[in-house]
Amino acid sequence: MPAQPHGLIATFDTVPDVYHAAEQVRDAGYKSWDCITPFPIHGLDKAMGLGRSKVPRFSFVGGVIGFTTGMSLIWWTGAVDYPLVVGGKPYFSPMFAFPVAYELTILFTAFATIGGMLFLNGLPMHYHPVLKSDQIMRGLDDKFLIVIDARDPKFNLTATKALLEKAGGKDVSELEA
Amino acid sequence: MSSTHAATVTGSLPATAPAGIAALATKALTIGAIGIGLTIAGLFVSGGAKVAYSWLVGLTFWTGIAIGMLFLVMIHHIVDASWSTVIRRQFEHGLAAFKWLGLLFIPLVAAALYDKQLVWKWFDPAFDLAKVGGTGTVGEDILWVKKAGLLNPTFFVGATVVSFLIWIWLSARLRKASFTQDFDGDLKWTSHNRTTAAFGLALTALTMTLSIIFWVKSLDYHFFSTMYGVWYFAGCIRAALSAGVIIMVWLYLRGDYKGILNNNHLHSIGQLIFAFTVFWAYITFSQYFLIWNANIPEETFWYSLREINNSDGVPNQWKWVGLFLLFGHFFLPFLTLIHYRVKLSKTWMPRIAFYIAFVFLIDLIYNVWPSKKNELGDPLPFLAVHQLWTITAVIGIGGVCVWAYLKSFPTAKLIPIRDPRINESLTHHE
Repeated sequence: MPAQPHGLIATFDTVPDVYHAAEQVRDAGYKSWDCITPFPIHGLDKAMGLGRSKVPRFSFVGGVIGFTTGMSLIWWTGAVDYPLVVGGKPYFSPMFAFPVAYELTILFTAFATIGGMLFLNGLPMHYHPVLKSDQIMRGLDDKFLIVIDARDPKFNLTATKALLEKAGGKDVSELEA
Repeated sequence: MSSTHAATVTGSLPATAPAGIAALATKALTIGAIGIGLTIAGLFVSGGAKVAYSWLVGLTFWTGIAIGMLFLVMIHHIVDASWSTVIRRQFEHGLAAFKWLGLLFIPLVAAALYDKQLVWKWFDPAFDLAKVGGTGTVGEDILWVKKAGLLNPTFFVGATVVSFLIWIWLSARLRKASFTQDFDGDLKWTSHNRTTAAFGLALTALTMTLSIIFWVKSLDYHFFSTMYGVWYFAGCIRAALSAGVIIMVWLYLRGDYKGILNNNHLHSIGQLIFAFTVFWAYITFSQYFLIWNANIPEETFWYSLREINNSDGVPNQWKWVGLFLLFGHFFLPFLTLIHYRVKLSKTWMPRIAFYIAFVFLIDLIYNVWPSKKNELGDPLPFLAVHQLWTITAVIGIGGVCVWAYLKSFPTAKLIPIRDPRINESLTHHE
């Protein structure tokens, strides 16, 4: 095993166990760590000290780009590139450009939301060191895991191990990098 | 199913009216009486025709909120919603206003039947259109002749009476089932209300559409729009949700909702207001856009007179009201409510709610008042003395509605304590 492992992994038996352990890891000031649970636990994001998702920012930018794309598309094609009088209407009006702009706003917002979510989650990710843990299958079934990365500035093999054990973690083990 | 949690929360509820509610109800009724009194005084200042329009705005505003509440209660039941269980009871209390709104409608309809030229000009086929910048009489107007099968006083009165009876009946059914469940906890009331909602939604959608076509759209009977009922629906729901926010925060600040209301309730109702803001914009824009695009005089006149004078083509005040609706009823709430933290704020949400209800009123004024034209066919201005009676009418009818709500408030538990979804609602989370 290399000198520096990827991190430490601990197992917990119940939801309250992992919830309170997460609070202790949060209060100890760790930033680069995660919980692995078989199902979503309400309030765990707060116990972990996570803020609001940043996905909406991607959505908003996508929406703005979609709207301007729609408006510019109709303006460029109708008023610049190939001006034609249709139905006695002006070459360009935001009125008839609106349905297109509106649809593209929705489409681009959806793309940006999905893309932003994948990007922020670091997906697709084909391999992660936790997959080598003996406990990982249980963590997708009936156990709750906490993983603390070694790249966390506060990480210290002995101290972090002690913290996880004090928080009630079982089978605290090093993850192969 | 039965909720120990709910029982503890509501265990301290007093059996009698919570302190101050009775006094508040009296105050509301007094304010209502003053508003109605001032509106009557307006008859001697601006005359019956104008005060009738003001009264119509006041009625469509408050009836709209009640219809919105009726829809929300029924939508709650039909989709078996959980989070809105704690606020549903307040909407049920709001439904108590229907019978009073029906009563307050009577003088308007009676006046319109007594003087058939007063409000809806097509009540009298002999109406001389020269008085509103046209030619000939209503009876000679092909656009009325073709619509006369619907647009006649008999149908008008029939539709209005039937609509109110249906709303009052549905409200009574929904309220009785919900209130009775507080005592016996019988699940049959929940399925009973779901059945009521199933046919009630269809009935309310039809009667609401028919009513708003008669009450407001037919003021300018030339107009065609298939969006009209949906436009009113959007406004009603927005106003009712806003009233819901105001009531939720009011009850929270009073202390009644402490331990009941959590951030996620506010977040959820905020999301609904946001969704209906977009829905309103979609409907209102679609109506405008289709008419603008098709460019048919029978339709475009409606927007033209809300932008420029018929006689000289000079922009009138309604143009600015229209622009205010675009920016004030869509962009401002849209850009405010899009923020997560705003939706959680007990300071901002009631402010936004009051504002949306206010702009719903402006939207109604925009739909009602420009139909009142002078002999040149120009709409009367937005800002004028007669708008005072719109304010007094809204206050007067509003006082009665708030009184009806407050009078109903102590007659049932604060929240439906034995509703099968009450636990889910009390622990509502994102």
